[in-house]
Amino acid sequence: MRSTNARLVTAAAMAMLAWGAAGCGGQQGIAGSTWHDAHPLPADTMTVPTPEIGRHGGRFVIAQTSGPKTFNDIMANESSSTDVAGRMFVGLTELDYASGRMYGLLAKSWDVSPDGLTWTWHLRRGAQFSDGHPITSEDILFNFEIAYDEKLHPSIQDLLKVDGKKFEISAPDSYTVVMKIPRAYALMIPAVGSLHIMPKHRLESAYRSGDFASAFNVSTAAESIVCSGPFMLKEYAAGEKTVLTRNPYWFGVDAKGQRMPYLDEVVFLIVPDQEAAALKFQSGEVDGIDNVKPADYSTYADGQKKGNYTLYDLGPGMTTNFFWVNLNRVKEAKPGRKVGDPQTDPIRYEWFKRAEFRQALSKAIDREAMIRSVFFGDAVKNWSTSTAGNKVWYGPETVGLDYDPEGAKRLLAGMGWKDRDGDGVLEDEKGRTVSFTMKTNADNVTRVAMANFVRDDLAKIGIRCTPVPVDFNTLITNLRQDFQYESILLGLQSGVPPDPMMGQNVWKSSGLTHYWNVAQKRPETAAEAKIDELVAENVATIDFEARKRGWREIEQIVNREAFVIWLPTIIVKLPVRNTFGNVQPSVMPHRLLWSIDRVYVKGGGTPA
Amino acid sequence: MRTFLLRRFLQAIPLLFGISALTFLLLQLAPGDFLNTMAENPGITVESIEAMRTRFGLDRPWHVQYVLYLKNLILHLDFGESFSRHQPVFQVLREGLLNTLLLAVSAAVVTWGLAVPLGVWAAVRQYSWVDKGLSLLAFLWLSIPEVLSGLLLLFLAAKTGLFPVGGMRSLGWESMDPLGKALDLLHHLALPALVVGLIPLAARMRQMRANLLDVLRLDYVTTARAKGLDERTVVFKHAVRNAINPLITLFGFTLGALLSGSFIAEIIFSWPGLGRITLDALLTQDQYLVMGSVLMASVVLVLGNLVADILLAVADPRIAYD
Repeated sequence: MRSTNARLVTAAAMAMLAWGAAGCGGQQGIAGSTWHDAHPLPADTMTVPTPEIGRHGGRFVIAQTSGPKTFNDIMANESSSTDVAGRMFVGLTELDYASGRMYGLLAKSWDVSPDGLTWTWHLRRGAQFSDGHPITSEDILFNFEIAYDEKLHPSIQDLLKVDGKKFEISAPDSYTVVMKIPRAYALMIPAVGSLHIMPKHRLESAYRSGDFASAFNVSTAAESIVCSGPFMLKEYAAGEKTVLTRNPYWFGVDAKGQRMPYLDEVVFLIVPDQEAAALKFQSGEVDGIDNVKPADYSTYADGQKKGNYTLYDLGPGMTTNFFWVNLNRVKEAKPGRKVGDPQTDPIRYEWFKRAEFRQALSKAIDREAMIRSVFFGDAVKNWSTSTAGNKVWYGPETVGLDYDPEGAKRLLAGMGWKDRDGDGVLEDEKGRTVSFTMKTNADNVTRVAMANFVRDDLAKIGIRCTPVPVDFNTLITNLRQDFQYESILLGLQSGVPPDPMMGQNVWKSSGLTHYWNVAQKRPETAAEAKIDELVAENVATIDFEARKRGWREIEQIVNREAFVIWLPTIIVKLPVRNTFGNVQPSVMPHRLLWSIDRVYVKGGGTPA
Repeated sequence: MRTFLLRRFLQAIPLLFGISALTFLLLQLAPGDFLNTMAENPGITVESIEAMRTRFGLDRPWHVQYVLYLKNLILHLDFGESFSRHQPVFQVLREGLLNTLLLAVSAAVVTWGLAVPLGVWAAVRQYSWVDKGLSLLAFLWLSIPEVLSGLLLLFLAAKTGLFPVGGMRSLGWESMDPLGKALDLLHHLALPALVVGLIPLAARMRQMRANLLDVLRLDYVTTARAKGLDERTVVFKHAVRNAINPLITLFGFTLGALLSGSFIAEIIFSWPGLGRITLDALLTQDQYLVMGSVLMASVVLVLGNLVADILLAVADPRIAYD
């Protein structure tokens, strides 16, 4: 793994270099477009809310640390591909990041039957693909057929099933699609929107001959990739860049009726790492960065005037950090292991099982000090997957067991644990030294720093915790397959939309990401049984206030039992050049690109 | 010569076989597989992961996977498919191949273009300040790791604005005229080629110097001088011609390292070559892509060594195979 080491060294050294380099200010892209709308607007245009009316022309360059692997939106699985493909293909509905609400994109409107079981979607009349071919109900049916294909099994499939059953879909006419589902489904609108529509007239033959997975890959000629979104592919240069240009048939217009998007081009420039992106930003080649480390915030803040950019402070992000102790038990008998045996050391399992122990862990962590030292002050306390950055689902009343070292010690003393041999580490009631290891992925510097911080805080209440940074793949194998760990420190990204039930597999005891005790046949504790019940109820409820109440209850149970021990959530800041208007960064991924169809190059900008 | 070539060709078969088996085994020993990165996402169920594992053939035991791989490779010259890109491996690698070759060849031009004349110069002026100065410079460069020298040059580029900060082409490349395109490419190529090219310079230059000094001490050189030939003819026509033989072998080895010699520089300078693709493949455990890259580099290495041997026979009539 010599190259990996080299990469780390590179990253570290580049971090130092990035800031030694003088900012040369912004170079402006190709401004003053000569673009003229050559096609008549469709019958059903979509008015896109924009803070300002923009003008056409220009280019926005964004850095990407890894290029797209495919442009096939349904088969794409990682963000480097979906960041790009998500601009090229859209679904029936979409989340408006600014308001947190879902709105109709390819669907102009929709109706739900009172029982919530029949959904009728009315498509936008006159909507066209980037080659001028109309987008009709045929295309919607075709894409659902692919999504439900058992052999391809795209990952989107899971979201598009209710209780493991497919939707019953029919198309009474070209602009109407009817879906029937077996029970009310809270995630219906976002689920349907997450399937992006690809052109049937271009892909049907590939699909019928079994070649869908490799269709629209990165070597496909740009002009034959026909798009349904605001942008289409102009050029892909492997390892260098991906250039998107406007879809001339897009149905989005601004308040003045001008066709969107404003920009001529969106360029995804491939850079090796965040530090190289910083260099490119400083030299003016890149116009915005969506991912900056807290350690670099102050340096970016200082260079704002000189570099003609703004460091947007977006407040608390949506990524969470937490750790948990291993409560997994053997699910299938193996030589030497019976079903029901703890996966971890039996003595430790006895400790981990006790809620008081987990509560003591949570009370031991001085989160304010952690925010100061690990996050340079740019983080907030967090007690849920719905962070303070989640405008719709955040509940300030949800508070977990915060720093209280004396309370933690009382809890442990109450279990009969004390330091019998005077070495500063507690012994349990049977005289065994209380210690455990904590794994996290070594390539994430912030997580390793948090783990070290946890070690110090736990030492203060007499528990010996040893951080063990491991390779990411090892960590995943440990937590998913062999369960060889005592505790793990990890983080979770928010789903889009940030509905807590998008991550229901974390909370359901049968879920594969119910980390502390995965895939239980039936819930092993009363608390988990209650959570299961609440989750099942939540996904089958449409009323938002009722769902919110249910979610609060789940959060409280998780925090009371301290199944996971929450750590702070980062405050997100990112820099964008001042030459652009309508820049509305969001804490949700993709932070800059979600509104890229509205961004425009300001007239009379002052390129340095 | 023909039997020699045949023998070398036959020797390469078990070698490549061994390399492929070892690479495959090492990839299997590494924890997890390609689907691991997906397993972290709570939105993806176990059924999806298993379905993908079946589709990629990762559910079969590793020796079955390997035999299938070999079968496809030998019978159909099929290197398999990249999991993440849904593209044949060969197609993916081809994207980076030309760029890597461009960088490697430019680096070789830097190395050899400087090493031979400088070596000759140092030998002719043995123990002068030129000789000592050149040695000092060359060894200074040799002792700086590629990572550091790359970063230093990148820093220079960012600080002065004289060179682009990584990449292979400017954003407006498509709209340039052919001359502009070539100049832009050279502008981007300069620093990485320098970094890769200067590393072996010290060794090659010293080698050239030492060989030439050996030859210059031989009787026939004295004879040539005694005949009254001018020093220029003595050195370039008689001595250098003979002193260069060992360097030809080394040149062959350089060919062998063409595909793999510049990986680190490629990554530092965002050069879109094989290095980046291979590193990505390794980190995501895109196993057939890693296999393809390793095999390709091995084949080039074997061919490079062969070319070195042939070149030697061509350059020196005293050497004959068989």
